[in-house]
Amino acid sequence: MDLLEYQAKELFREMGIPVLPSQRIDRPKDLKGLTIPYPVVLKSQVYIGGRGRVGGVKFAENTIDAIAAAQTIFNLPIMGEYPKMLLAEAKYDADREFYLAIALNRSVRRPVLLGSQQGGIDVQDAIDQMQHIIVDQEFSPYYARRLAVKMGLRGALIEAVSSVIEKMYHLFVQYDLDLVEINPLGVSASGKVMALDGKVSVNDDALGRHPNLVSLISKLGGNPPDLTGATPVAIDSEGTIGIVCNGAGLTMAILDLVGQAGGKPASFLNIGGETQWDASADLLKQRLERGLEVMGQNKQVRVILVNVISNLVPCDEIADIITAYWQRRAPKVRPLSELRPDTLIAQSNRMPALVVRLLGSQSDRARELLAAVSLPLIDSLDETVTQAVALSKANRTS
Amino acid sequence: MNLTPHSKVLVQGIAAPLGFVYTPLMQAYGTQIVAGVSPGSGGKSLHGIPVFDLVEEAVASVGDIDVSIIFVQPYAALDAALEAIAAGIHQIVLIVEGIPPLDMVKLLQTAELTETLVVGPNSPGIIIPGQILLGIHPSEFYTPGPVGLISRSGTLTYEIAWELTQAGLGQSMGVCIGGDAILGSSFPQWLEILDEDDATEVIVLVGEIGGDSEEAAAHYIAEAIDKPVIAYVAGHTAPKGRRIGHAGAIIASQISELGTEIGTAASKVAAFERAKIPVAHHPSQIPTLVKKALRLPSKRSSA
Repeated sequence: MDLLEYQAKELFREMGIPVLPSQRIDRPKDLKGLTIPYPVVLKSQVYIGGRGRVGGVKFAENTIDAIAAAQTIFNLPIMGEYPKMLLAEAKYDADREFYLAIALNRSVRRPVLLGSQQGGIDVQDAIDQMQHIIVDQEFSPYYARRLAVKMGLRGALIEAVSSVIEKMYHLFVQYDLDLVEINPLGVSASGKVMALDGKVSVNDDALGRHPNLVSLISKLGGNPPDLTGATPVAIDSEGTIGIVCNGAGLTMAILDLVGQAGGKPASFLNIGGETQWDASADLLKQRLERGLEVMGQNKQVRVILVNVISNLVPCDEIADIITAYWQRRAPKVRPLSELRPDTLIAQSNRMPALVVRLLGSQSDRARELLAAVSLPLIDSLDETVTQAVALSKANRTS
Repeated sequence: MNLTPHSKVLVQGIAAPLGFVYTPLMQAYGTQIVAGVSPGSGGKSLHGIPVFDLVEEAVASVGDIDVSIIFVQPYAALDAALEAIAAGIHQIVLIVEGIPPLDMVKLLQTAELTETLVVGPNSPGIIIPGQILLGIHPSEFYTPGPVGLISRSGTLTYEIAWELTQAGLGQSMGVCIGGDAILGSSFPQWLEILDEDDATEVIVLVGEIGGDSEEAAAHYIAEAIDKPVIAYVAGHTAPKGRRIGHAGAIIASQISELGTEIGTAASKVAAFERAKIPVAHHPSQIPTLVKKALRLPSKRSSA
């Protein structure tokens, strides 16, 4: 999960990384109570980079200018996202702008320190000049000095910049972060350094052991991520097929197959969980049950493709959940005289078709259970996809 | 790697939910589970297996142990793995997902110094069909044969094993290196193991989006692997920047605006094609390509 700039800077401040005096602005009139002296910079607090280029950062010399600028920024969506708050910050007179980051490198499986003398808005320049140092054993400050020297710094700047890198590294380790980035690190004419913008990505898996971080995020008005994982993920507003699957790789393979067959996935749900340490048959069954319910309520979804390779749960128990869901959702059979034509149409439209494939133990019993509610159990993955795509098209034209 | 049906196996977290469920399944497959560890339960026995408080007590009681399978909760996994290494165990299988990446970094610093092979995390482990099961692979999808299967994803591995089995192609080994961003073992390590394995005649490598491990594998195959390799990559249509379930499968520039085109399915397929490695476009195409590599008549060409 990414933090907003003002949340990242709160962590910088805590760690002793130099940041400017700043104030959070929830609405333009908050600027009347500004305690930072003018001139100030107003910055849109969105999760997307590159906001400076599209007008999400503005300078103001006085309250009137600031309120006007704030109104403009609050009404400026950046890649579709409107800011919920702005950050008002003292203006800094930077002579030069550097780029610094700490990230995990998956290939070498170690943290890596990154730095460039060409920071700021033009990231391509930063990339061209990027230097890196791999932290292959226990960290010690000399790793930071190595990067500073490799960046081409000389004299007092070596200590000033490497001290910031060292603090970034401690922040990275202390909170199990995926990324700490400072871009730009402003350098004044006198050689003083200042983190002018910052990005912090928290590792969702590690969040559970950092209650301080969770309370900081919620204190500052953020939402810690939902880690329950039983909500379908919407992917295409034009799509008509919902995919319920277990396992990330298999889910991706099915999304690909549906696309290749000319179908459009609307959303997917990975009930996954087979390597979750406290996984149980009951937990997986609850996820499937809830997932089918939520996916079926999405009117856009005309076909639900269920593909579960079962290990922890026998196929017949999965079939029980599917048939129960199917019977709950299916229109009740009533005498024709009781039916009004409009309810008939409404119900047939709202009921998504179901295409089911289950692999695992007790699949013969699962086949019988599904057959009892007229749902065939399909054997091959290709056939499952072909049927789902065909039904999504048939349903669309009806 | 050194695994045979006689390998002596330890289960750390034998009383943890997954350990409790899967230990008897591994036993039923013939895996020689000689001891379990569950702090506080020392002296008891579970599924007929003696349980110890410490790994060193298990080793003292049953003798040298070849491999440990770890089912403990994610934040305790680093400690459990370090305990196994300290007790002289040099093959470790980490099943659970959600181990913080920096814990993996610490584990790997020690594993590399002690030449310990770490499989996972977020992995169903290793199966040598007909011989040994180390982890949670559903064994009914596998059958002994010449295909070495390596992947990053559990259920997709089972799916492809089943496709192969149905096509009459058994497997020499099925291993999933795991779905996380920081993994204990890599594709090149397993390619090398399978290249040297007498039972393996052809290798199927199942990749997915995220990271650059497939690109590295393609390069390694071209340089160092003599046996034929077939590749498949999942995630061509996966939404960008969204977590699908694998921390390793996110496509997102980790660093602001850097390298957004690294780790896509297209870049991985291109890497395999550059290395002249046949790429299957969907799972059911894999058996056909394997038969071609083995110079076996495929159903399609004989029909």
